[in-house]
Amino acid sequence: MPVIACAETAQRRTAWWLTAPALGLMVLILLIPVVIAGVLSFTDYSLGNDTFNWVGAKNYDRLFSRSTYEKMFIATFTYVVTVVPLSVGLGLGAALLINSMGRIGDIYKTIYFLPVMATLLAMAIAWEFMLHPSIGMVNRTLEMSCGTILEIIPFLKNGCADRFPLWLGDKDYAIWVICFIGVWQGFGFNMVLYLAGLTGVHRELYHAAEMDGAKSGWERFRLVTWPALGPTTVFVVTISCIRAFQVFDTIEAFWPQGGGPNKSTYVMMFAIFEKGIQQNLIGIGSAITVLFLIFVMFLTLIQRWLVERKVHY
Amino acid sequence: MADLQIDHVTKAFGDTQVLKGISLDIADGEFVSLVGPSGCGKSTLLRIIAGLEGQTSGAIRINGQDVSGIRAADRNLSMVFQSYALYPHLTVAENISVPLKMRQLSASQRLPVIGPFIPGARNRNVEIAAAVKHAAQTLEIDNLLDRKPGQLSGGQRQRVALGRALVREPAAFLLDEPLSNLDAKLRVQTRAEIAELHRRLGATFVYVTHDQVEAMTMSSRIAVMMGGEILQCDAPDEVYNNPLDIRVAEFIGSPKINILPVEASDGALTFDNVVLPTLAPKNLSGPVRIGLRPEALRLAGEDAVLAGQVVHVENLGSEIFAQISLAGHDGRVTLRAAPEQRSSLYIGANVGLAFDGSAALLFGSDGKRIFNPHTVPAQSEVA
Repeated sequence: MPVIACAETAQRRTAWWLTAPALGLMVLILLIPVVIAGVLSFTDYSLGNDTFNWVGAKNYDRLFSRSTYEKMFIATFTYVVTVVPLSVGLGLGAALLINSMGRIGDIYKTIYFLPVMATLLAMAIAWEFMLHPSIGMVNRTLEMSCGTILEIIPFLKNGCADRFPLWLGDKDYAIWVICFIGVWQGFGFNMVLYLAGLTGVHRELYHAAEMDGAKSGWERFRLVTWPALGPTTVFVVTISCIRAFQVFDTIEAFWPQGGGPNKSTYVMMFAIFEKGIQQNLIGIGSAITVLFLIFVMFLTLIQRWLVERKVHY
Repeated sequence: MADLQIDHVTKAFGDTQVLKGISLDIADGEFVSLVGPSGCGKSTLLRIIAGLEGQTSGAIRINGQDVSGIRAADRNLSMVFQSYALYPHLTVAENISVPLKMRQLSASQRLPVIGPFIPGARNRNVEIAAAVKHAAQTLEIDNLLDRKPGQLSGGQRQRVALGRALVREPAAFLLDEPLSNLDAKLRVQTRAEIAELHRRLGATFVYVTHDQVEAMTMSSRIAVMMGGEILQCDAPDEVYNNPLDIRVAEFIGSPKINILPVEASDGALTFDNVVLPTLAPKNLSGPVRIGLRPEALRLAGEDAVLAGQVVHVENLGSEIFAQISLAGHDGRVTLRAAPEQRSSLYIGANVGLAFDGSAALLFGSDGKRIFNPHTVPAQSEVA
């Protein structure tokens, strides 16, 4: 017995030694910064200052009382609530369509995945040109419909009579343009994840469903495909949510001077950057960061819970 | 319940002809096994009957009605799959109820959450629950109804798959190697249970297997398939005793039948210059083959026709199988002997073998059966 106990202790010690580098790095580059951000969010610290004052929950208080931050929450949640369902839904739809095709599917796969591979910042610049109110190809294309039958569509009719939207310069359109680009850029990634998930669906289950009388594609989808894609969906939704909370590049590229027309696209990531880096208000920047971390942590916990409970059979 | 008619069905995948004109009539209530080595097209045929695959030409008729243009869901057939194909996210009860829900509930009544509140859904759901319970009791799985397939053993899953097939009364049951994923002991037990279920339900069963023992023990008739054709379709003992093709003779029976190359001339057969006790038709001459079941051979002394050396012995307790290398023949023959004869069947022993002339099956050089003067009146001789 003592020999075995001794061996076990030795093994345990070795295990700790082997995990120590990873644990050390995790503490150093993940946990300590998070703790520091948490501490700083209760101060008025600015980078370069030797000292700081404790301000209690004042930073958080500001977050929930000032209209700028209200706009920040509205912009962030509008973006998340729009982009996540659309990019997940389109990703699933594209994956199902591609999966049902033969060789041609590969071409579509490449086309839909291209925006994922491209640098978003560079793409944002391309979009900026396309969306330019007078020389951009979007409005130029829309102008071509003037004088044709297409003018019965109210949007085109108003545009022809007056002018077409400014897109990035219009507070009613700006956030939706950002959402559109987010979906365009993101759904290809979800599609690839779903395609991987679809390879795991047992062929014979479709035959069983057919024998059981599931005649429509919708019934087969509900009975076989959707449940089989459960684990993929949880993962895809979580990843999409986290990515949606992180939206930054396009906004920084379009409006480097602060959050779009009337702060309509002032999302959290941009707010952190603006407050913490540009204005050197580390305290308030940290408070937004902590809030951001709480959202992401919450999403991850939901995912863990769902994965363990619901989607593994 | 219905009869099935398979009428000159062919199937080709590109240039590969998988089924070469299969015709088979299956009567109402019959248990027909499609048996053959892997790749013989038996599963393809079953899937064509089910409607999961289309035939290249020919027709399938259920109760006289041509179902060629009718999709699988509308053919009123049930199928048990080799992998069981249970829905992993549904409980056993839900799995069994799927075929009933799909057929008896309207699309709106099947909707999640609000479905049960659509008028009429309540009564139907009660009926379905009763039918599921009844099916589960038939298969003795009523204590598993709340479990998910992932929590069941292979044998239990197999029963759930059977339950899902029999919960509605289909025109016929199609079973695609349902026992091949079970361990040997459970397979023997389930074999008996399926045969019993067939007797109790009196339904038409089409059973695909590569295991000739399953086919022999369960079926009313066996259709032996090879190379996309049905070589013979008869009752198990007829297929065993009177194979019409040398491939059928070789496939059915364990251990395998002994095939010996012999010379025919003038109504007599010779093997290695020894005249055999089997007669041949007068007009037959040239090389032919005879088939001898292991139990047709017996140890003999003075009257031995064949002689050889024992090279391997398998003692199964109730019987002994000895492999004997014959003089003047490179293959081995298998002999079934009684346990008392063990003393003379040691490895290296020189033994003589004899057989009853009427027990030998004669096959022509094309592999087709030749009825020799002995076996044509075989029935009357036995009688």
